[in-house]
Amino acid sequence: MTNSANGKIHLWAFLQGIGFFPGGWRDEKAQPSRVFERSYYEDIARMVEAACFDAIVFGDQLQGRDAAGRTPERLAIPTLDPFTLLSVMGGVTERVGLVATVSTTYAEPGEVAAKFAALNYLSDGRAGWNIVTTAHPNSAWNFGEPELLEKALRYKRAAGFVDATEHVWKQAVGEAGGAFANEWFAFDAARGTPTAPQGRPAIVQAGQSEDGRDFAASCAEAVFCPAPTIEAGQEFRNDIRARAAAKGRDPDGLIIMPGLAFVLGDTEDEARAKHARMLDFADDGLCIEYLSESIGYDLTRHAPDGPIPIEDICASCEFPAGMIRAMLQPSVDAGKTLVEHCRDYATKPRGHNIFVGTPEQMAEMMATWVDAGACDGFTLQPGFMPAELEIFCEKVVPILQEKGVLRRAYQGPTLREHLGLSGAPW
Amino acid sequence: MFLSLSFDIAAIGPGTEPIADFRERVARIGAARPDFVILAGEGEGGAFVPPSLEALVDCAWITGKLTDSCVVAGLPALHSVPFHVARALSAIDFLSGGRSGWMAIAGGAERFDAAYGQDLATAAPDEQAARHDDFIRATQALWDSWDDDALIIDKAAGRYLDSGKVRRVDYRGPHYRTMGPLNAARPPQGYPVLVRDGDGMPTSGIVADVVIGELGSLDAAAEPIKLAKVDSSDSERIDAAKAAVSQGRIAGLHLEGPNALAALESLRDGQSSIVEGKRARPALGLAHPANSYREGALS
Repeated sequence: MTNSANGKIHLWAFLQGIGFFPGGWRDEKAQPSRVFERSYYEDIARMVEAACFDAIVFGDQLQGRDAAGRTPERLAIPTLDPFTLLSVMGGVTERVGLVATVSTTYAEPGEVAAKFAALNYLSDGRAGWNIVTTAHPNSAWNFGEPELLEKALRYKRAAGFVDATEHVWKQAVGEAGGAFANEWFAFDAARGTPTAPQGRPAIVQAGQSEDGRDFAASCAEAVFCPAPTIEAGQEFRNDIRARAAAKGRDPDGLIIMPGLAFVLGDTEDEARAKHARMLDFADDGLCIEYLSESIGYDLTRHAPDGPIPIEDICASCEFPAGMIRAMLQPSVDAGKTLVEHCRDYATKPRGHNIFVGTPEQMAEMMATWVDAGACDGFTLQPGFMPAELEIFCEKVVPILQEKGVLRRAYQGPTLREHLGLSGAPW
Repeated sequence: MFLSLSFDIAAIGPGTEPIADFRERVARIGAARPDFVILAGEGEGGAFVPPSLEALVDCAWITGKLTDSCVVAGLPALHSVPFHVARALSAIDFLSGGRSGWMAIAGGAERFDAAYGQDLATAAPDEQAARHDDFIRATQALWDSWDDDALIIDKAAGRYLDSGKVRRVDYRGPHYRTMGPLNAARPPQGYPVLVRDGDGMPTSGIVADVVIGELGSLDAAAEPIKLAKVDSSDSERIDAAKAAVSQGRIAGLHLEGPNALAALESLRDGQSSIVEGKRARPALGLAHPANSYREGALS
């Protein structure tokens, strides 16, 4: 998207939980209690809109954060419903996009279509849908299912699901009839929905596997992904664009938005000290709980300084044992204790690029990535909330605007326009 | 005297109500301060139907505009998923400061069957009532997967919550199974205010917090708050319902019909019972629901 008036760097604020670092909620400037208050979301929405971000994004899960029934005590894990938060944030803003993560595995297309239509209507055309297929085995149990649908089938269902929702939205504007049927879904009449400027939510996708990439290339208008290095970003972006072209799509019709966690300081030393503090907040107890949650096995029952209980874990963890064994075996072979492995795991959360430095350096890095074709923008994951996002908006945004790579004002009212897409999807 | 009215988008599809008009109506309702706003439509024969504008997304938005009301999300009773509903209403209750409510609506089920490709509205009445009750109990069980005081949020000690106060509930009913815990804390009100349509599910075994029904039917209802449905263009009906309020038979009026808002404005004789920043349950004289899954609770 090289529309110069629109700026070439796209910015999204990824706001799930209390920030990127598992211990960040303990910082004196973090506000973990306010995530249960309306004013917190209203303040952040206004701030992000003033900084001309494309959108606010919330991730989501469909399971409690417990490991074998025990919910971690030291992890801050508020996962409030994304639709609710975005609807509240839309109520006090006029431009910023509102992207909700919603799974296609445990819902009906008619219900999801109606919710997005409501968000799109109330926000006057600013809704976006980050499509996920749910990967946590426990999610199935919350919906009365014995086990998760196998991955390839989940993506097939997702494709059928998107077609069905599309039908509902088209029907609302008179572009489709009532009845619909495909391999997965059949209904006699679309649940009536209101219409809104951009017709339907902008479609976002976050899968990185073969299935996920193919799905993104088929229908996504923006892709959220991890990219720890510029080369990883280039590889991913080129791959998705090639897949989209092979499907007959214009590769410029979708943007690549890798995650970017960050810790900012006025000097490099200050930023590094703050980063070290973020990691220190993750004490041993937290690190052990963090891995417990990630593998679905309660490690707090084992001695922290003992060996990694790999056989016990593989015998009863809630994730597939083969996957967990592959993940743990290198540390077992290296003779690491349980707590040593957990410390390593908690300091490098989730494979995203972590920037630590000054606002000038961050702006320079962002422009370099975009110029190198490694991405079209960034899904920003503040180290902790709201202070790090405030610093970004106050100090990095003006530098990006000065460089001419970030818009100073929104060019249009809808999220699709912020993303550089043509006004209407149909 | 409590005052209530229904609210929904005026039109959907190609003739969708302009958003500016919708917002203007909401502002007018907010100024009139009804005690209850029910996000639902009016169906045939006086029964509620789920709204055309999806209730949970609307409820989140509208509680920021209707700050002196308990806002009740009208949900299809047979077609809603407990986990999704429990999750959304937890967030709505937190962000509204404890002013949310919910109603499982029996009416309009054929429309959802058609839209979801299901066949639930053809079931026998008893079977439908069983599913309705099971939906409500499963949703409440998920709220009970967290104790009211599970969150600690002690930065210095590094303790965010008390693990002993969050649990799997493993709810198993005739229609719904759900494990929990919910990935959302128990709502500030314990459960959002539960409202029942007196014309909805006659054989339901659920006693709600509020029932809204025909004046003549309310004496037999077990709910602590009873609101009479009245046609807002019928002054005799309004007077009869007001008399019933003075006699203590009912607690207030639910105004129906195209003149509901005008009637609300003329009847509003002072403050709403609900005030911004205060929870609805205590303002309405309703108890905080006990948590039957709590450690040591009698079950």
